[in-house]
Amino acid sequence: MSEMVLETERLIMRRPAPRDFAQFEPFLMSERSRGVGGPRTKAQAWRVMCAELGHWTMLGFGMWAVTRKSDDTALGLVGPWTPADWPETEIGWMIWNAKDEGTGIAAEAARAAIDHAWRVLAWDTIVSYVSFDNPRSAALARKLGAVLDPDAPQPHPETPCHVFRHPRPEVGS
Amino acid sequence: MLPRRYFETKDHLGADMTAPVIETERMILRKPMATDEPVFAKFLMSDRAQFVGGPATRGRAWRAFAHLVGQWEMRGYGVLTMLERGTRAVIGSCGYFHPAELTEPEISWSIWDIDFEGRGLATEAALACRSHAYAKLGWRTVTSNIDVDNARSIALAERLGCHIEKTYVEQTPEGTFDVHLFRHPGPERTA
Repeated sequence: MSEMVLETERLIMRRPAPRDFAQFEPFLMSERSRGVGGPRTKAQAWRVMCAELGHWTMLGFGMWAVTRKSDDTALGLVGPWTPADWPETEIGWMIWNAKDEGTGIAAEAARAAIDHAWRVLAWDTIVSYVSFDNPRSAALARKLGAVLDPDAPQPHPETPCHVFRHPRPEVGS
Repeated sequence: MLPRRYFETKDHLGADMTAPVIETERMILRKPMATDEPVFAKFLMSDRAQFVGGPATRGRAWRAFAHLVGQWEMRGYGVLTMLERGTRAVIGSCGYFHPAELTEPEISWSIWDIDFEGRGLATEAALACRSHAYAKLGWRTVTSNIDVDNARSIALAERLGCHIEKTYVEQTPEGTFDVHLFRHPGPERTA
């Protein structure tokens, strides 16, 4: 159960809950979600939210709702996303509001998620799939130390994206 | 008088434990589990799923299943996996489907494994789910939205005593469908 919550310097990362849809839905229906398959209709946004919750129920892990320690309101989702068609295990991120961009919370949350994926989930590899037209997200991947892997299998071969591969930490570090 | 968990759930774990287990003569119905997903995916990726948005890709099938699981948390109710008594083989799903575009929940049914078709199992499951909705969930009315070309499901709805309330064009992320909205007989007529 403790694995469901991560704590960083500024953040609490917890399992998403239905109440987070109040913040997630407007993001999914806005232009801001273009880099992650949006903007979506109301009906599509509903399915995405349900699938995020279902991912946790099915697998026991999923993308965390990222909150500041002082406020339970979710600011975005960061963490594992591993649907059956994904060729590799992914850590993804989305920050829902422009006002929270540039604050470093995505990087802070992603570092905690990546650390969790190596140590607790014991993943063999970690990739992040980033749309070609999402330079902010690509910059974050590089900031995290990930490098482009042009030979990696694509999640949607018909619409390719950047595949960033995160470096495996040295044993004992 | 629908239970609404959407936006109201304080503890996601509570919602999961509300899922009932419904037993019928030949089946056990319980909340969908990850181990059911391959059977669902095989169905949704086949032509047999033409009336429910198929055939889907592998990725869309997985997301559709995760969405069915997650609906339980959002609504407090959802569809159930039908298991054969004894063998516990996964048959299909029946239960309470309520995506954003539907103004009220419906009872839906799908036989995922073709080997279980034609045995009246969907009818048996739908009757049990309807009784449960009236007796345990306190619902006063139930619908089912069925594609106008889905003769098997329409025949099933008629066996359940449903009548067509209207016929309309349903827009869903899975496609655009001409559907009949069937209204089920109410609790006073099915007791």
